[in-house]
Amino acid sequence: MKRALVIAALFIAFVAAAPKKKTTLPPLGTKFHALPDGKGKQLVEASCLPCHSPDILVQQRLTEKQWTANVEKMMRWGAAVRDDDKGAIIAYLAGHFGPENKFTPIATRPVGH
Amino acid sequence: MHRRSFLALSAGLPFLADALLAVPSKRMLQMNGYAVNAETPLELLTDYITPSELLFVRSHWIPHMPDLKTWRLKVDGEVKTPLDLSLADLKRMPAAEATCVLQCAGNGRGLYAPTVPGVQWRYGAVGNARWRGVRVRDVLERAGVSAEAKHMHTFGSDDPPGKVPPFHRSLEIEKAMSDAILAYDMNGAPLPAAHGGPLRLVVPGWAGDHWMKWLMRISPQREAQKGFYMETAYRYPIAPGAPGVAMKPEEMRVLTEMTVKSNITTAPARAHVGKAAKLAGFAFSGAPDVEKVELSDDDGATWHDAALDPRHSPYAWRRWSYSWTPSKAGRARIVARATDVRGAVQPRESVWNQSGYVYNGWHGVDVEVTA
Repeated sequence: MKRALVIAALFIAFVAAAPKKKTTLPPLGTKFHALPDGKGKQLVEASCLPCHSPDILVQQRLTEKQWTANVEKMMRWGAAVRDDDKGAIIAYLAGHFGPENKFTPIATRPVGH
Repeated sequence: MHRRSFLALSAGLPFLADALLAVPSKRMLQMNGYAVNAETPLELLTDYITPSELLFVRSHWIPHMPDLKTWRLKVDGEVKTPLDLSLADLKRMPAAEATCVLQCAGNGRGLYAPTVPGVQWRYGAVGNARWRGVRVRDVLERAGVSAEAKHMHTFGSDDPPGKVPPFHRSLEIEKAMSDAILAYDMNGAPLPAAHGGPLRLVVPGWAGDHWMKWLMRISPQREAQKGFYMETAYRYPIAPGAPGVAMKPEEMRVLTEMTVKSNITTAPARAHVGKAAKLAGFAFSGAPDVEKVELSDDDGATWHDAALDPRHSPYAWRRWSYSWTPSKAGRARIVARATDVRGAVQPRESVWNQSGYVYNGWHGVDVEVTA
């Protein structure tokens, strides 16, 4: 009961504090998958996470050739990747999220209210 | 900038999410925290009408939510009278309803081998909902659509980052005029923003990529829409190729109808020889109905008909159930397959395609049978 009241109070506080005019759909994620530590992680964070949550990276199971094609596609589409850093980014992604990668989605709240 | 507002918003949500997650029947599987992509756990897809809050969500980008007071649907292109319609204008027109399946084109992408890039949906990017709105035909006739128009271009309010191509699409006007709906309600309530509110396109029998969300504009044209999401993505092999071998765009066509498919949503983990156990699931197709659903416990050597639930309307799914009595002990694998009213049979292996669309290989469950 106490816990429910605390949750209710926090929710009301959150709603009251939220901007009056919401112009974008709020995020689903209350938490995201973490990117594993390793060489190139910071480059991947800086290049990929402005547009994608880490979830979309950690669920992939791609060969180095497939990762290369995708990184190049994202560079054409405006991802902030310096040519010098491309190799390190591909190595990180292919090293961690290759064809044998396993993924379990995070259980999250219902969405479509 | 989008991300900053995301992070600010998400800071307050964990408490609410914790409370909801305590209810096992109220959870989704997060495939992408932003832009929002989430599928329904298959074992929760047990209703004829999928509850709105449990229906999967697929977003390409982050939509700009319009102010309903100023929101308009523009109708232009090959029409005599361009229109500029408010939600109230649309609601004053005769209402149309359809109960039908919405499935993401990529549902089951994560089940393809060799693996392909994209959201690794498994089973739950699908649901069956009741849509209410205005017939596309009524709106286009009111605008005086030209007989020369062969394609309806569709535009939503989602706004891609950087140099990413916009998600602009078109579909054959013949299909749009036959049974498509501009839906403002879902399951008896205003269409939620996560599902494309205030207005989305409903295209019965066709994959979700045609069901444009957050509609802003429809435009009949002589030619199909161009761009990445017509000429490269959302294309399907004209004829099946070898798994793992990518095809050129001209060897593929725009993906339209869904493929015939059945999934098992309910099955026991354990059963006993000689005792009946209940299995249940759903089946649907790009055809208006399924003719039968069959189950096999011997890898497809023999098949047994499931009972189809009578609830149905064109392009809705059929719930089915089957009472299975195991005959021997050990691990049993039970598979389901559907056949639609046009005679298409769900195959053991789905046709591999490089983007992982419309997966429909047999779905099986394992049951431990004891004597």
